[in-house]
Amino acid sequence: MRIPLPLLDVVLTLVTAFAIGAVVMWISGYDPIMSYRSMLFTPLLDYTYFFSALAFSAPIVLTGLTFAVGLRAGLFNIGAEGQVYMGALGAVVAAYITKSSLALPLALFIGLTLACVWSLVPALLKIWRGVNEVITTIMMNWIAYWVVIMAVSTVFTNPLQPEESIKTPEPARLTPLVAGTDLTAAVPLSYIIALFVYIFVKYSVWGYRISISGQNPIVAKSYGIEPMRSIMLSFLIGALTAGVAGVMQVVAKPPSYSLMRNLANVYGLGFDGITAAMLGRGHPIGVAIAALFLGVLQEGARHMQIEAGTPFEFVRIIQGVIILLLAIQMLKKT
Amino acid sequence: MTELLLLLIIQALLASVPILLASLGEILMERSGVVNIGLEGIMLLGAFVAPLAVDYLRYRVGMWLPDLVWPIIAMSAAIAIGASVGLIHGYISTYLAGDQIISGVAINLFAAGAVAYGIQAYWGVAGYKQVPDWAKADPMWVTVFTFIVAGIMWYVLFKSRVGIIIRACGEDPDSAYNMGIDVYKVRLLSTIIGSALASLAGAYLSTAYLSVVTKEISAGRGFIALANVVFSNWNPLLAIVGAFIFGFFDALSYWLQTVGVARYEITRMIPYIATLLIVAGVIGRAKPPRAVGKVFRRE
Repeated sequence: MRIPLPLLDVVLTLVTAFAIGAVVMWISGYDPIMSYRSMLFTPLLDYTYFFSALAFSAPIVLTGLTFAVGLRAGLFNIGAEGQVYMGALGAVVAAYITKSSLALPLALFIGLTLACVWSLVPALLKIWRGVNEVITTIMMNWIAYWVVIMAVSTVFTNPLQPEESIKTPEPARLTPLVAGTDLTAAVPLSYIIALFVYIFVKYSVWGYRISISGQNPIVAKSYGIEPMRSIMLSFLIGALTAGVAGVMQVVAKPPSYSLMRNLANVYGLGFDGITAAMLGRGHPIGVAIAALFLGVLQEGARHMQIEAGTPFEFVRIIQGVIILLLAIQMLKKT
Repeated sequence: MTELLLLLIIQALLASVPILLASLGEILMERSGVVNIGLEGIMLLGAFVAPLAVDYLRYRVGMWLPDLVWPIIAMSAAIAIGASVGLIHGYISTYLAGDQIISGVAINLFAAGAVAYGIQAYWGVAGYKQVPDWAKADPMWVTVFTFIVAGIMWYVLFKSRVGIIIRACGEDPDSAYNMGIDVYKVRLLSTIIGSALASLAGAYLSTAYLSVVTKEISAGRGFIALANVVFSNWNPLLAIVGAFIFGFFDALSYWLQTVGVARYEITRMIPYIATLLIVAGVIGRAKPPRAVGKVFRRE
């Protein structure tokens, strides 16, 4: 059996990245073997921890899709981070408006609307003024950061627990599918959305238009496809998936069901999505698999910090190295 | 009130320095044809490594060195780390024909992780470390140095032979190559120097301007610098003007906090909103080097 080259690439990348990571750990005085053991094996050997890894992977699948769909349209949409914040804010606003089970659909509605509004700014600036989306999405991320922090520390603050926002009302919560874990319906939902996005980009007319515009806007134009519409559409799809991720981080995250005042439970998901999208080579199914891997890393990092004392942030170093190696490997294809 | 206004102007000047330094670095790189969106990460690394290096060395080399030396060592360490990252990014972008944007994204991600990890690993605190007085440089020094660099870079890029070579690599690398210029080497060197400047911008933040290292110390300034490069039309002298405008809004956000007119969350949004507006307003006339971000291959 021949191993497909892209898969070999990814495996080689991961091995190299972990080797470099080991050197970093060793230099900074931590035990790489013990760290890796608790990071990689603990989440895989206990079902509670594995379900927790799955729960970690769910929002990463969605933010990964944001970036992957952007890539298809030839965009570097790094706006998922801010759109996740806005989605989460939407869920909090819904909880503020009503205490009934209506809060759930309302959370999705407000959260997705806010996320779309957030992506509309870079989309329109790109279309009307040709502004580079990397700069605008980052600026929108920072604006979202301060908007949401302000909202959570003022109107939506929880008087009983000032460190977090008001909680999603009980009837509107997604509860664990397996008791004692944090595996909620958000996990299957995220993977189903990935499947839908895959079908959309692969088999729908609009998905095809997005790909053509991304590969060559001039060719697209000559086929009668308006590249600007594809750009707008891919921004909006990205905002929807990132928005769902944000909403779910509030309505489907036991035990708190709230948004932390320092945004701890939504921070960094956009960046993880970039890694997932790169590692999954921009393919929605690949993104889902990569997100699962990152979910295991996230869960593993908690155990690494407890068992080996190695700081949690190490995971992000590994992610950076992985992407750097992926940047190099592109050369063999072209 | 006049005192407060004067303070605002001085603060704007000081706030513009990191943006200007990083912009100058990016202008050099992009003029040679390499785009580096990892500015943010390089700044962050510089901000972390500068105090780290002096902390480490002071303990080991001894206290006998005069105090004047430490800030210089800190800045040099930042320059060294910036140059190393520039070497990696430049090598990927030139000899390895890698994707420059992906490499830049990787630098940002890596730096965000490495600095958060490093602060925890070295000082044992979660993401926030005060820089001791003896490691601090006078911000005015760096400010003067930065303006001199801007002048030199303008002169080199537009008035010297070296500048023509650098710009040729960014505009039309094929012709440059046919004229006998080693495009790879020019691009690599420009990227190394440019990244070193961005890293120095970070060192300025931690050891001169804010006297603290945090895991988010660059706070989007790297991307604001990218916006400034576009604003300045890839011209080092115009970059001074742009950096002052961006620096003004950065300083304004802190100044409004001191005056106490609005919640700090609102004032902290100002630099980013201003960047969006400025970029949206001026982008039409911007003309990037033609071959920027494109891989060059020898025929």
